[in-house]
Amino acid sequence: MKPLDEQDHYEVLEVTPGAAFEDIERAYRLTRAAYTDGSMALYSIFNRDDAAVIRSRIDEAYRVLTDPQDRARYDAEAGIADRHAEAATPTATRPIDAFPLEVDCEESEARTLPAELPSAIEVIDDPDADIDEETSDFDGAALRRARLRRGVELDQISDVTKVSVKYLRCIEEEDFERLPASVYVRGFVTAYARAIGLDARRVSTSYMERVEAAREQPQRRLRSSSR
Amino acid sequence: MNPRVEGQQTAATPAVNSGARVISVGGGKGGVGKSFMVANLATCLARAGYRVIVVDCDLEGANLHTVVGAHAPVSSLADFVAQRVDDLGKLVFDTPIEGLQLIAGTHANLSDAQPTHLRRVRLMRALRRLQADFVILDLGAGVHSAVLDYFLVADDGLVVCSPEPTSVENAYTFLRAAFYRRMRLAMVGHGVRKLVTTAMDQRNEHGLRTPLDLLREIEAIDSADGARFVQTMREFRPRVVINNVRTAEDIKLGFAVCSVCRKYFGIDAEYLGYVNQDDDVRLSVASRKPLVEYRPKSDASIYLQRIARKLAGGRPSSFQAAAPNRVASPSGAPTPAAGSPTA
Repeated sequence: MKPLDEQDHYEVLEVTPGAAFEDIERAYRLTRAAYTDGSMALYSIFNRDDAAVIRSRIDEAYRVLTDPQDRARYDAEAGIADRHAEAATPTATRPIDAFPLEVDCEESEARTLPAELPSAIEVIDDPDADIDEETSDFDGAALRRARLRRGVELDQISDVTKVSVKYLRCIEEEDFERLPASVYVRGFVTAYARAIGLDARRVSTSYMERVEAAREQPQRRLRSSSR
Repeated sequence: MNPRVEGQQTAATPAVNSGARVISVGGGKGGVGKSFMVANLATCLARAGYRVIVVDCDLEGANLHTVVGAHAPVSSLADFVAQRVDDLGKLVFDTPIEGLQLIAGTHANLSDAQPTHLRRVRLMRALRRLQADFVILDLGAGVHSAVLDYFLVADDGLVVCSPEPTSVENAYTFLRAAFYRRMRLAMVGHGVRKLVTTAMDQRNEHGLRTPLDLLREIEAIDSADGARFVQTMREFRPRVVINNVRTAEDIKLGFAVCSVCRKYFGIDAEYLGYVNQDDDVRLSVASRKPLVEYRPKSDASIYLQRIARKLAGGRPSSFQAAAPNRVASPSGAPTPAAGSPTA
């Protein structure tokens, strides 16, 4: 492990030399957030000056690595082009394993995200969670887990979907009584799912079954008790 | 190579026991949920078919038995440490949870001091020989050398921390103490060891501010110890768990802490997972049942199960190993921690 002033741009951003653009984007957001002034993670380890130095190195690394020409020039100068090729071959051991990003899902899992929510999907490497999202019936809790895993707060979803935070919270907590008519709820859930990159149709179908079931039950009970 | 076979154990299981995997759970601050984490992860592993023993190493505030719903113990780890009992296996008690057993902590015997380093080495050997797939140590709060030793010799060291400045600060204090202790034990040269001890004081007169400053200084004195230092840094891989998260921002703290560990200590900490804040935790403790039993469908339980599965990795459970076509994978056999303190 090298001191910061000897680290290359990849090491500063904690990504592998072969990192794809999206990986660099994500790593930048995470590291940048870690070293912002007042970040809880810095407290008692790095002082403000240290943090400022690290931040400027992160910004510089990001600037170079997200510009294809600058990156190519940088790789050539630093002799990283070879390492690049190495990292691309599957058997190569990666010099630094950065954040546990989703490594092997580059094309297979082309999640479509609305342009307004670019910061989504900062997931922690968790095969179990993928299973959770693929197989589970989507109840409110499953939606919340999927959202948190992507590092998204409710107000961010509200910004994108224009659904109020109040209703979004009701959806997660399955507070059906405070939600409007089913036709609206279906729209809200669809928008929510789309915003975090889930299969909107599957989610809304699954969720609406829960809504309908819950809304029918009390009526039935009323009817039976009136007899 | 025959695995050790304990005399009084039943003959049904010893063939699969290639040595228990030892996991320690620490984190410096009291009240961040170490015992909660231990009890629940252990329960998850036990339900998955592993034989699990939890050990209450919190010699000052032992109460793990309450969390797993066992009765107050008649004998405890202290009896082994004080050499009143020679066979650690005799201190293992059953809990109401199938597959989960317990070695309780000290109870009401305040005259027992913290064990000496030598006795801790003896204890660690005995822990690894227990008839179990996983032995999970619940460490006490603070940075006493006993706590650090249990943390360092384990195959996996979990650091539990909640999203509060005080907890994060304590987690770093804990990591820093563990880091320097591990480094000091790994160094051979007398002068180099002394230098590490100096660096442990953050306001030392040598101007050694960070572990990397220390490394440069060591390399100047002795290149062999320098190489050992780097090697030991690489092997030291604490795993971070954030407990009591409420927001997505809280979850990101785990990434940030690991990044800071990388940039400051030069160690490759891993973000193992997070568990959300859940009011049912209090109720589960009151009911003396782990949350994953009390509310198995809650978010917190689902997060705990994820962490447990990650911890288990590919390690075969007793059930799986017993199946005819499943053979214990060689990768599952733990090598006794390469950097275990042997000073």
